[in-house]
Amino acid sequence: MIINAAIYLFGGLAALATLLMIFQREPVKAAMLMLAALLSTAGLYLALSAQLLAALQIILYAGAIMTLFIVALTATPAAWRDKPSKSRFIKMLGLAAAAVILTELLKVSALLKQTVFSPEFSETGTLDLARALFGQFTFQFELLSLVILASIVGAVTLAAGKRSS
Amino acid sequence: MSAYSLAGIAFVLFSLAAAGFLTCGSLVRMLMFLELMLNAANIALVALSPGTVSQAYALMLFAIAAAEAGVGLALIITLASVFKTLEAENIKELKG
Repeated sequence: MIINAAIYLFGGLAALATLLMIFQREPVKAAMLMLAALLSTAGLYLALSAQLLAALQIILYAGAIMTLFIVALTATPAAWRDKPSKSRFIKMLGLAAAAVILTELLKVSALLKQTVFSPEFSETGTLDLARALFGQFTFQFELLSLVILASIVGAVTLAAGKRSS
Repeated sequence: MSAYSLAGIAFVLFSLAAAGFLTCGSLVRMLMFLELMLNAANIALVALSPGTVSQAYALMLFAIAAAEAGVGLALIITLASVFKTLEAENIKELKG
C-alpha cells in the first residue's frame, strides 16, 4: 500500500516538474526543475526495489549530467540565449501533440491491464544485478566502456577544434 | 496495482518530455528534454519487468545517457560559438 502510494507520489512529482519545466523561461530554473524530476525518478526506483539504480540516478543523472548542463548554460554568453520565449499557443499545441502520443501509447499497451503487479520491497537486487552484469552481460558491459571512451574522444576533439580555430 | 498504471506513469513522463522537446527553441533545453525522454524509457524498462535483467539494461542506458549528454553538449557549445546563438531556429546554414 505504502509502496503504491510512493510510486504514484514520485511519478506525479516527476510529471509536475517536467510540466513546470516546459513553462519556465529561466534556463537555470528549468535545470533545477529537471533536477527535481530526476530526483523524483530516483525515489520511484527506490519504490520499485531498484536501490542501485536509485543511487546511480542520483550520482550520474542528478550529479554528473546536471552539472554538465549547468556548466554549459553558464559557459555560454547570456545574449545568445536571452530570446523571447515562444508563445503560449505553441506550447499548448506541443502539449496537444504530446496528448496524442500518450493516447496512442496507452491504447497500444492496453493488454497490460491484465497483468497485476504487486510491488514488494526486496533488498537483494544489487547482488543479483552485479552477477548479471559480470556474468550474462559481460560483453555488453565491457562494450559500454568503449562507448564512453568514444564519447570522451568526441567531446575533447570538438572542444579542441573550437580552441584552435 | 496493474502494470498498466506503471506504464502510464512512464508514458506520461515521456509525452510531457516530448511536448517540451517539440515546443522549446533552445538547443540546451532540447537536450534536457531528450534526457528526460530517455529517463522515462528507463522507468518503463525497470517498472514493467521487475528483475535483474531489466535493471542491467537500465544501468547500461545510464552510461549511454551520460555519453550522449557529453557529446551533445560539446556539439551544442561548438555550434553556439560558430552561430553565436543557442536558438535552434536561428541556425539555418549547414554549410561550412
